[in-house]
Amino acid sequence: MPRMLKKASAEAVPRKPLKQRIIKDIRKNYLLYLLLIPGIITLVLFKLGPLGGMVIAFEDFSAFQGVFGSKWVGLENFKRILQDPYMITLVKNTVILAVLSIVVVFPIPVLFSLFLNEVRQARIKNSVQTLSFLPYFISSAVMVSILYTLVSPSYGLINNIIKFFGGTPIYFMAEPEWFRPLYIILQIWQTFGYSSIIYLAGITSIDQTLYEAAEVDGANRWQKMFKITLPQISSSIVVMLIISIGNIFSVDLDRILLMYNPSVYETADVIQSYVYRIGFESTGFPDYSYGTAVNILKSIIAFVLVIIANKLAAKYSETRLF
Amino acid sequence: MKRKKIKLFDVINNTVLILIAAICVYPFLYIFFVACSDGAFLARGQVTFFPKGFNLEAFKYVLNNNDLNVFGGLLNSFIYTAAGTFVAIAATYITAYALSRPQLKQRYVLMGLFTITWVFEAGIIPQYIIYSACGFVNNPLVMIIPSMINTQFLIICKTYLEGIPLELEEAAVVDGANQFQILAKVFMPISKPILATIGTFYAVQIWNQYLVPQMYLKDEQFQTIQQVLKQVVITSGDSSTTFRNVVQNGILLNQQNLKAAAIFVAMVPIICVYPFVQKYFKKGILIGSVKG
Repeated sequence: MPRMLKKASAEAVPRKPLKQRIIKDIRKNYLLYLLLIPGIITLVLFKLGPLGGMVIAFEDFSAFQGVFGSKWVGLENFKRILQDPYMITLVKNTVILAVLSIVVVFPIPVLFSLFLNEVRQARIKNSVQTLSFLPYFISSAVMVSILYTLVSPSYGLINNIIKFFGGTPIYFMAEPEWFRPLYIILQIWQTFGYSSIIYLAGITSIDQTLYEAAEVDGANRWQKMFKITLPQISSSIVVMLIISIGNIFSVDLDRILLMYNPSVYETADVIQSYVYRIGFESTGFPDYSYGTAVNILKSIIAFVLVIIANKLAAKYSETRLF
Repeated sequence: MKRKKIKLFDVINNTVLILIAAICVYPFLYIFFVACSDGAFLARGQVTFFPKGFNLEAFKYVLNNNDLNVFGGLLNSFIYTAAGTFVAIAATYITAYALSRPQLKQRYVLMGLFTITWVFEAGIIPQYIIYSACGFVNNPLVMIIPSMINTQFLIICKTYLEGIPLELEEAAVVDGANQFQILAKVFMPISKPILATIGTFYAVQIWNQYLVPQMYLKDEQFQTIQQVLKQVVITSGDSSTTFRNVVQNGILLNQQNLKAAAIFVAMVPIICVYPFVQKYFKKGILIGSVKG
């Protein structure tokens, strides 16, 4: 009963008109609103603005007429994508890089953290961890420059070793078949230490009594690693997997743009690098509308893949992202 | 018997892991060895695990040679990183503060919009069209202003601020403090760890950026060290006209020396601060991963 009474009395007080309430709110909180100014500028101009700018994918955008003045062409640009024969190469390259980075790159930090967790000496454990995730904070430009130096045909360390064993130097950066392995090696080098931090954090929160119980049952070290530790962090593994499937088409554009050159386009050119060239390296007027349409198509496919991955994860492992 | 087996596992495991860590950092060391070796030894391929004919002439040469723009690039990168980090911390923090106050009724709408822009990315071309309309082409402010609020760091910061008990604010209000004073005198001092974490991430992000300056800052006077590196190491290739063999103070420097020196100066700021800020990095990755 008291609840009902309260409700009735609340209704009895007439609410003030909207305008008055807004004025009162602003007068009371005006300092908070002042604090919000940079946030709102960023949100509207730099975050929502470009999202709105995506409408040019449905226009024949011309820089002189602007986003609002350009001619509306509907799905014309998307039709052109489907007729573009080069799209097959692009999609193929993008998918191969994505699949490689899931199949090859993804398991490494999991294994690394499993074995690192077995190290008893805290000092070794910490130093190995600290050194292994240093490359994550080094820029792609530096990483790719180092790669160039190491594989240079005239003075690179790798080619010196090849020459030492009597081989002929390989022009790694100009051979299409070497692009993917080198890209993946760089990715492993740059990211495995970083990802293993997340798994190691998961491992430290495992209930220690599980291991004690297993010891009583006579489990050995390997069994403890793969029958207790691994299943216990499976939910973080699944979450990371769904995230990386969501990023399946988000190749590291910095790395690609720094690594590729026309002689390796047949394996190295991916959707984003193509969009970049359309927008910023084309001769004549860049076809902004077409580039944006390509990008939208990419996002839609990636989004669908995340939904599917999430469904599968929910079905088979009871872990889901959303 | 059993004991010995366990020990063997430990020995192998430790050795392999230490080896992996060594392989991770060896290329960085190698670049340093090459940069400070004598070009004559390099030409014979004699530098692998330590410098030979130690000297710092290559560093002097790349930093003093104005045509290479290495010094200019470093200076630009330093300015962008310092100013950008300061602006980003300030903007992210005050936005997170405002959005964490319960009396602000619109905060859910704003947070929702921020999250949408985090999940859906517009892509580089629409972004370029809007940014160029805002006047960011060939304007160094592009490194500072548009990226000042990263949604992920905003969420991290807001969650942290929401965890601070409301009583603290109420006590300050009773003492007659306004929102500015509460922010600066009550919340700021207890937020130092989170500010250090997001600050280091912003700084690394700005320093390492390649795509944004490459799209917006074509003019040589505005270029960052990352762009310079692309020019002098990657684009120039092996048959370099950028670098010729030079003899400085009686020491031969070849293009290998000079390129390595350029690479090394581009990464040395990160390597130098890394030991001091790596605990913030670790913390940041963990909070970020929980949210993401």
